[in-house]
Amino acid sequence: MRNLDPLKKRYDNIPIPQELDDVVNQALKASRRKDVRGMKTIKWAVGSAAAAVVIFVGSVNASPAVVHALSEVPVLNSLVKVVTFRDYKVDEGHYNADFQVPAIQDMNNKALEELLNSKYVNENKELYQSFMKQMKQQKGEGHLGVVSGYEVKTDNDRILSIARYVEKTVGSTEETLQFDTIDKKNEVLLTLPSLFKDDSYIALISNNIREQMEAQMKKDGDKVYWIGENAEDGDAFTTIKPDQHFYINNNGKLVISFDKYEVAPGSMGSVEFTIPSDVITNALVSHAYIK
Amino acid sequence: MNRRRFEELLVSCITEHKESTYRLAYSYVHNKEDALDIVQEAIQKAFISLNTLHKPASMKSWYFRIVVTTALDFLRKRSRVQPVDDEVLLTLGLESEDHYHNLDLEQALEELPFKYKSVIVLRYFEDLKIEEIADILGENVNTIKTRLYQALKLLRVKLKDDSMEEVRQHA
Repeated sequence: MRNLDPLKKRYDNIPIPQELDDVVNQALKASRRKDVRGMKTIKWAVGSAAAAVVIFVGSVNASPAVVHALSEVPVLNSLVKVVTFRDYKVDEGHYNADFQVPAIQDMNNKALEELLNSKYVNENKELYQSFMKQMKQQKGEGHLGVVSGYEVKTDNDRILSIARYVEKTVGSTEETLQFDTIDKKNEVLLTLPSLFKDDSYIALISNNIREQMEAQMKKDGDKVYWIGENAEDGDAFTTIKPDQHFYINNNGKLVISFDKYEVAPGSMGSVEFTIPSDVITNALVSHAYIK
Repeated sequence: MNRRRFEELLVSCITEHKESTYRLAYSYVHNKEDALDIVQEAIQKAFISLNTLHKPASMKSWYFRIVVTTALDFLRKRSRVQPVDDEVLLTLGLESEDHYHNLDLEQALEELPFKYKSVIVLRYFEDLKIEEIADILGENVNTIKTRLYQALKLLRVKLKDDSMEEVRQHA
């Protein structure tokens, strides 16, 4: 009779994908909860979010049809734009995740476009992986909620500012924010230091923020910032980081952002300060962005 | 035995055989995504139809049967080509040997109608007993034996044709 060994070997060598464990575990968990209707939302695609996203980057850049199918943030008269590129959801009892990945489009500077987009993808990939890891470690006995998303802070002729947020809920909610600000005309990514002639901006901005904090606390007894006697040693806000999170708002004002707990109690959430332009005007390289 | 205990057994069965069932699914659809989908759907179906399983002892066959059925359903839905009846395919395979040149054994296996291919995969790749295969495919033991014999004959016919082609080329 025929020798089927080579075929058997081929069969045995069918690679087992990494996602298999996730797919099986998710299907088991969902089924055991008898929540079979809910299962439809946990397509295995979640299990390989990372891989799917990577493929998707290619297709977003390549296919106008795909681009069209994505929900677009309404943008008027501008070329460079932001779209929601992929939205991944995991919903398993006490484990919930929703990762919304933004993508920059229609930039002529493809290197920058790709740099930003792959950064967004990778951030979400890491979030997803640590989410799955934590879920596995806790064997479904704990609670975890992770939400990532973005908000277009500014989109005008000159500036595109995007804020990306991550909220982790494990008992209390932890929140982090990141920003990217792009000069749409020159298609460059703006950093805080790049806006200024020298690092005098650090002190100028920091002093102004401290004044604003004091004024706010005086006006509103519920507000607390970690300055002066409110702060424990070492916790007090003294100065911004040279690359502190920032964006430029639609009025051409510089806005400095702090994560939750960075300068204030968690109850204050993440906070931001709009810096009056006259405070920094002498330190600016140009007035192209900040007015 | 209550439902809970049944579910526990099913979970161990699914977990223990996850790689086998993935390969089995893959052998039908030949791509990772679809094979994963099939495994997922099969697990779902297994839980829904757990009450149709009466003996825990036959759980493995029962679960494999769900995987095979799911894979075949999937292919049926997927196929854009009107499927030709198995018997017709078989006849074609036997009669038009000349069309099978350059087929290696693997391709020959792929060319087999599913009812023959399933038997080969389960018997020789998954090392299951004829009785188990009969259970999985919902046929009696004699039918499986016949199919196995026919499947092997069909593979040999195709391969023989292939080697004949070689001989012809050398001549």
